[in-house]
This record gives sequence, C-alpha cells and structure tokens, in this order.
Amino acid sequence: MKKTSSFIAALALYFAVFYYVAVTAIGKPLDFSVYFEYSKVIWDGWIQTIAISVMSVLFALVVGLILYLMNESKYSVLKYLAEIHKTIIFGTPLLVIAIVSYYYVGFAFGIDSKFWIGVITLSLYIGAYIADIYKGAIESIHHNQWQAAKMFGFNRYQTYRYIIFPQVVMSILPPLAGQFALTIKGSALLSYMATSEFLNSVNTVMAVSFAYPEGFVILAVGYLIITIPIIRLIRHLEDRLNYKV
Amino acid sequence: MNLQLEKLMKIYNGNTVLDDISIEVKDFQVLALIGASGSGKSTLLRLIAGLEEYQGGNILVNDSAVDEDNIDDYRKKVGFVFQDHNLFNHLSVIENILLVLEKVHKKKREDVLPMVQELLRQFDLAEHQMKLPHQLSGGQSQRVSIVRALAIQPELILLDEPTSSLDPILTYEVLTAVKKLADQKKDFIIVTHEIGFAKNIADYIIFMQDGKIIEHGTNNILQYPKTKELRSFLSKVLTFQDEDIKAG
Repeated sequence: MKKTSSFIAALALYFAVFYYVAVTAIGKPLDFSVYFEYSKVIWDGWIQTIAISVMSVLFALVVGLILYLMNESKYSVLKYLAEIHKTIIFGTPLLVIAIVSYYYVGFAFGIDSKFWIGVITLSLYIGAYIADIYKGAIESIHHNQWQAAKMFGFNRYQTYRYIIFPQVVMSILPPLAGQFALTIKGSALLSYMATSEFLNSVNTVMAVSFAYPEGFVILAVGYLIITIPIIRLIRHLEDRLNYKV
Repeated sequence: MNLQLEKLMKIYNGNTVLDDISIEVKDFQVLALIGASGSGKSTLLRLIAGLEEYQGGNILVNDSAVDEDNIDDYRKKVGFVFQDHNLFNHLSVIENILLVLEKVHKKKREDVLPMVQELLRQFDLAEHQMKLPHQLSGGQSQRVSIVRALAIQPELILLDEPTSSLDPILTYEVLTAVKKLADQKKDFIIVTHEIGFAKNIADYIIFMQDGKIIEHGTNNILQYPKTKELRSFLSKVLTFQDEDIKAG
C-alpha cells in the first residue's frame, strides 16, 4: 500500500513538471482533434514501428549468433570480419548508418523497400551488440560444464545444444529485452529514410496541422506503450534470475 | 584392468608437471594415486581420462593407446567423477544421467530408465531424482556424479579427489558410495587424500611427488614405506589426522 501511494506521488510530481512546462511554453490548451482525423495513418505507423522492431530483433538474434561464431572461429579472416563489423557499429551513430544504408547500400544491392532496408540496417546494428551478449553469457558458463561435456563424449554441437545454450537462455533474456527496447527507439531514426514508421507518420501530421506539442505527446505515449511492458518484463526476468542465483 | 605409462611428459606454461613417468600396473581393480597437493596426481588422472594433451610418451589402458585417434570411443568407455562433481546445472538429477545415455550412447530412455532408477536407489538418491544440482548437498551431488559415471557402464571409472571439498560427514557419505563401487567389483582409479580409505580399498598404490612417481606397489607400501619421501608424507598426514582427533 505504501509502495503504491509513493509511486502515485512520484508520478504526480513528474507530470506536474511536464504540466508546468506545457503551460509556460505552449500557453494554450492542447487540441488533439486533427490527430483523430489522421488516426489511421498514425496507427499504421505505430504498427509499422512494432513490425520493424520485431523483425529486426529476430534477424539480429541470427546476425548476433553468426558474429559470435565468427569470433570463435579458428579462421582468423572470419574473426577479423566480425571484429571489423563490431568496431564500425560500436563507433558510428545509428543515424549515420541508416542514411548510408538507405542512400548507398540499398541502392547498390538493388533493394527498394524502405521497410526491408530499415530491418536489415537495424539487424546488422543490433546484431553486433547481441553478439557480445551471447559472448558474455557463454563465457559466464563455468568451465566445469564444458569439461564434463567433453569427458562424457558430447561433440561440439551437442555441447552447445544440450548443455551451454539451455543455461545461457535465461541469462540473456533481460539484455535481449533491453536490446528490443533500444531497437524500438532506434527505429525512430529510420524516419530519416522516409520509412512510414511511427515517428514519420506523426511528423507528417505535424507538418500539415502545425499541432507540434500534441504530436510530441502522442509520440511519447506511443513509444511508452510499447517500451514500458518491455521494461517491466526485463525487471521481472532480472528478479527471477537473481532469485535463482 | 591394466595401465601402462611410457615416458609420459606433461609441460604446462613452461613448467614440467609430469616428468618422464613410466609404470606398468597389471590386473588391478582399485588403483589409488596419493601425494601432496601439486604432486601431479590429478594431472596424471586427467591425462589418463584423455582430458588434457601431453607433450611426450604414451598411455595404454588395457593395452590400447589413449590418443587422438580413438579418444571418442575411449571416452564412451570411461566414467569420470570430478572433484567438484560438475553436474549439468540446468538439469535434474535423473536428466543429468539420462542426457549422457541418450545423446552420447544413443540409448532409448525407456530402455535405460529402470537401470538408472535402480542405481539411484542403490546410492540413496531415489527421492532426490527430480531435484536440480543446487538443491543437493555436496555429498548428494558427488553421489549423483558417481551414479552418472556408473550409468554408462564403463570399463574404468576415474575419481578425482571426490571428497576434497566436503566436510567429514559428507566425506564419509561419499567414501561409502565409492566403497560400494569396489564391492561391486568395478575397476577404478582414485586420486585421494584419504590414506586410510586408500589402504582399505585399493589393491595398488602410486605415491607421487613433484611430478614423479616415487613409490608404488600393493597397499602394503602404506604400512612399510621404502622411500623417505613416502615415510615423510605419511608421517605428516597421520600427524595431522592425530591432531584433528585430539582437537576434536
């Protein structure tokens, strides 16, 4: 009970600050009527953002695994390829990569679909981070598990499939859910390549209606509706994991 | 069971861990490796298990060489009990045993389940079969590890200091389980600090120091040691055991 009232008080305080900013900076009541007219466009954009993010994370799981396996490969060329890709991704803003992908890479490979360029860009970007999540999780498995697998005659595939991955799954879920939240936010940068995702859809309405403050409120609420459940899920998974340990 | 080591060398990070070891032991059932920490006995056991590479020499178990060419088949015939039990953390007791049988030995679950359950019963683990490793005591975990090694019906079982991390009560529990292996006429090699236990169950003893075999023979060597190194080792071990008893 005490926790609930504290949470409500904190929430009220937070929104009071927003209300003060809104009243002083905007000076007029918010009017969302124009956004109702364009609700179909905004809804489609919101769904598009979810679709891009889900597809990107699914592909990024595979990209991450490939990069991890390349990193662990005995062939140094593969190792260096993975390392170079990760270094470029870690050192470059997503916005720059999105623009380069859209204007040059997509064109060079003859990919016209903005949706798919967006998905590929995000997958390659997030995949680099996911490769490190796999690496950290797999390295955290105690060496005695590998040793027992070796001693009892499991081959490499069986060791990963039956012993290592089942132990890794729970521990990578919280950081993976975190990456999903980052992907959703990152997908906003795809608006620069005119993908009809959530930010771009709302931007379009803002441009024709000049109702900017209302547009930003819709954007914030729209993203929070997706990200808050994910944040809650991460906390829940972390609690379960801590409890297990 | 026969074991033959020929000029065995193990060098690790520039240090000679096993130094030109040669020995032949014929027709043993229980072979105990004893010696102070760092003497090389656990390393020797891991080499016999095919867990580590060595830099020179040969290992022959029952007249077959343990090398890269036959290591996969060899491992299927050898059970290993690790110092820290090394159970698969995500699997229940029974699944720890069944996974090896199903995936490596390609046995059908329904064919091996009665045998596994019988082993669990013999080692007083039947009521714990659905528990995860972290829900077991150290002694129970080690007994599961023994059952896992036994379930593959190995020709040879290797035990690497199975009681080293256990308190006296749990040590007794595990040694009773190991004794059961001896009573069932299983062939095994055990690395142990439990000298009294080694004397009781082993029919052959190898004493090591600084990566060399100093003395070996039937368990009589523990009563009548020939070398000053083994005499000194035994006097220290027994002195500490006496002091433990007095302190207790």
